[in-house]
Amino acid sequence: MSQTSSTKNNAVSARQIAFFAAFILPVYKLVEAPSLLAAYAKGDLLLPALIHFFSQLGVIIALLIAASKSRRPLMERLQEKLGKKLLIFYGFYAVYYLFAAVLPLLDLEKLVYAAFYDTAPTLFSFGAFFLLVAFVCTKHLRSVGRFADLSVFLFVLPFLALIIMSIVETDFSSLLPFFERDLTDSLTAVSKTTAHFSDAALLMPLLLHTQYEKGDSKKILGGYGVGAGLTLVFLAVFYGVFTTVAPREHYAFLKIAQYFPALSVIGRIDLLFSYCICAILFFCTCLPLQYATGCLSTLIGEDKRPWIAAAIAFVSFLFTLFCNRFYDSIYGLFGGVFLPVFIIGCNTLPSLPSLLFLKKKNKKEKT
Amino acid sequence: MKNFVENIKENQNELKRLLPAEDILYYAFQTADKTNCLLCYADGMVNKELLGQLIAKPLSFLYLAEEKKSQNDPTMYKPSADLIEKTLRFPELKRVTDFQDAIKEILDGNTLLLIDGLEIGFIAGAKLLPVRAIMEPPTDVAVKGPREGFIEDIKTNMTLVRKRLKSPDLRMDTLRVGKRSDTAVVVCYLDKTVNDKVRQNIAKRIEQIQIDAVPDSSYIAAFLAPNEHSVFRRIGTTEKPDVFCAKLAEGRVGILVDGSPIALTAPYLLTEDLQSSEDYFISPFMATLMRLLRVFAIVAALLLPAFYITVQLFKMQLVPLGLMLTIASSIRELPLSPSMEMFVVLLLLEILKEASIRMPKYVGMSLSVVGALVLGETAVSAGFLSTPAIIIVAFSGICMYTVPAFVETGSILRWLFLLAAGSLGPFGIILFAVFILYYLLSEESYGAPLLAPFTPLIPHDLKDSFVKYGLRSLATRPVFLQSPNKTRLRAKK
Repeated sequence: MSQTSSTKNNAVSARQIAFFAAFILPVYKLVEAPSLLAAYAKGDLLLPALIHFFSQLGVIIALLIAASKSRRPLMERLQEKLGKKLLIFYGFYAVYYLFAAVLPLLDLEKLVYAAFYDTAPTLFSFGAFFLLVAFVCTKHLRSVGRFADLSVFLFVLPFLALIIMSIVETDFSSLLPFFERDLTDSLTAVSKTTAHFSDAALLMPLLLHTQYEKGDSKKILGGYGVGAGLTLVFLAVFYGVFTTVAPREHYAFLKIAQYFPALSVIGRIDLLFSYCICAILFFCTCLPLQYATGCLSTLIGEDKRPWIAAAIAFVSFLFTLFCNRFYDSIYGLFGGVFLPVFIIGCNTLPSLPSLLFLKKKNKKEKT
Repeated sequence: MKNFVENIKENQNELKRLLPAEDILYYAFQTADKTNCLLCYADGMVNKELLGQLIAKPLSFLYLAEEKKSQNDPTMYKPSADLIEKTLRFPELKRVTDFQDAIKEILDGNTLLLIDGLEIGFIAGAKLLPVRAIMEPPTDVAVKGPREGFIEDIKTNMTLVRKRLKSPDLRMDTLRVGKRSDTAVVVCYLDKTVNDKVRQNIAKRIEQIQIDAVPDSSYIAAFLAPNEHSVFRRIGTTEKPDVFCAKLAEGRVGILVDGSPIALTAPYLLTEDLQSSEDYFISPFMATLMRLLRVFAIVAALLLPAFYITVQLFKMQLVPLGLMLTIASSIRELPLSPSMEMFVVLLLLEILKEASIRMPKYVGMSLSVVGALVLGETAVSAGFLSTPAIIIVAFSGICMYTVPAFVETGSILRWLFLLAAGSLGPFGIILFAVFILYYLLSEESYGAPLLAPFTPLIPHDLKDSFVKYGLRSLATRPVFLQSPNKTRLRAKK
């Protein structure tokens, strides 16, 4: 694939990245993260979320600083600077994204069975999802950007509807006093939910391929701020609705509005809003696998992308099929032993480009 | 490529050899000085009266011999083509030198005139093809606004376009497609308004078409679409000249095909299907309401049957308890499963729809009675089908026809949604919806993303999408068309 067609296929605008940060990134955090935060932070779930957001914000700012040094996409400049060494980076991130897809896949499987079926579905029902995975993985970043545009329509109205319907039953006093609980609990919550807040890693491919224009940082950071704000609002309402039983309330966005009084008359229309958010969640779950396919096809060959996509979909299907019974153990591993992988992949490595290009600027300035 | 010779007999023999069809007629006559002339035309395609009055009659009084005398060297004499042209004063007269061009014109409905002693022929445009009258198109009826529709004759269609766009910038480039049909395909556009890349791309694609015959514009549309295995269209269609001209004025390219009343337009957006020509003739508020209604209707048409079986089989909570009990009581003793029942009712609807289109009109009434009343009523009372299923499918069918342009695609999608819902429940519906969405967002029609202006988000173009702003707000052309001339309206607010 030529450089031009690759650039065209991966072209994303700052607006799309901002929408991505505002309306797609929060979605996965509405699934299991609220109950996990409530469980580990003992009710003070806003503080660990804030810690996550600020740490991710730092990484995103670092990436934006590097991107703002030139109008050319950061990836092109990295390719020039690092040459073939960049393949190591691709290799690492291929593995990282496959790794990052594990928990979303397992969570989604359980959520699908809980949200979409009153009856007991067959074990293979979730298998159809991997057809979507295979299809999405054949696409480039431009499709991600376009889905981000659509997410405005898919996310905003259902999210607001769910919040409005649940706010009726919310007891905000249960959140008080803010930040008064033991800090170690909050830090434990941070470590256990790092996989759910790996925003910088998901934004990185988009930030690397965007053509930076003046004012883009404001848009992107604004988008991330909106996303973080919406998540915090959701967490607050979630804990306000469920209070002490919140740790047991999995798949938060499905349940948050279930106590709305009119539902007994008009049926569970809150589920229809939840399904709209599920549409974004399906895409969100495919995303790390799509990124992994992108990295692998850069390493192996762009012409082999469909085969890589099919292989990734098949492997992830087998993984989900056989590993769903070890759900709790896998969760334990991701919150403990595998934590450094996320710290490196999501916090350390994405900050490196800014150091590389800062250094270059300093040299120039000296000369 | 063989050229005409001076001897008219040889020319006639060669023509007869090349055009052995019986409907090709030859009319031989002589000028006043006995020079042989020959008219050759396809029977039923020419205005014979015009030929007689404007060609045969003037020539029969012409003395080519006098002309002969005036030449310095009588032996070197050849009848003068200029003199014949002057004499005939026929509005559409052109010279041809070879048989291939002449045959093309004859088969197109024009007439060939040959004169003994001349190495050239004349083509007289005395075409008189059987055409139907201009009527309101049955697929695009409007309560308000123009009612004219395109017909099968391309010349009439071109006139209908020219009548509305009296601009020197309106260009109509004629291309010929079809090895055997040699069909005229006219690419219409407004110069300085159209995106030249798009126009050139379309013209190039049409020129590359290698096909025997082009019976309808849908054949051309199939070649213009980048992906022939898609259920979604990539080319807009219209039967109304006012819509066609409005699209040209926006900066699109239009394509007229001889023999087809359906004109094509490109680039095409999915939202175009939701727009009606009438939206532009009523108040913007009403137009917005109607468009939102169409969106709702399409969603209902696609998803309602699927949703119904999902509620019964997988997720009962989605409907209120009272309604669920009503449904449960009506399906209690049905022999078919909910999926199978919905499949059968939908199949019945499709069969009735197909039959009502194909059947003669006078049988149509009885078909509605038999189909809708007898079949539906008796099937319910016999306990084969349930009333809610028939209501759902009937409503879905009606909803589908609020957007006639989407019926073809919508019918296929409705079946697929039904399949997804029957096998996977609401998960299948959402999964399939995301799949379609993801497919559509990466598709384009001549550089314009199919889902624009929603993705990529073009705030300016949202003014004429699901919502419809007033005309003054639509002062500039749609951004996605990338027209070199952005302004289409200068009006003080």
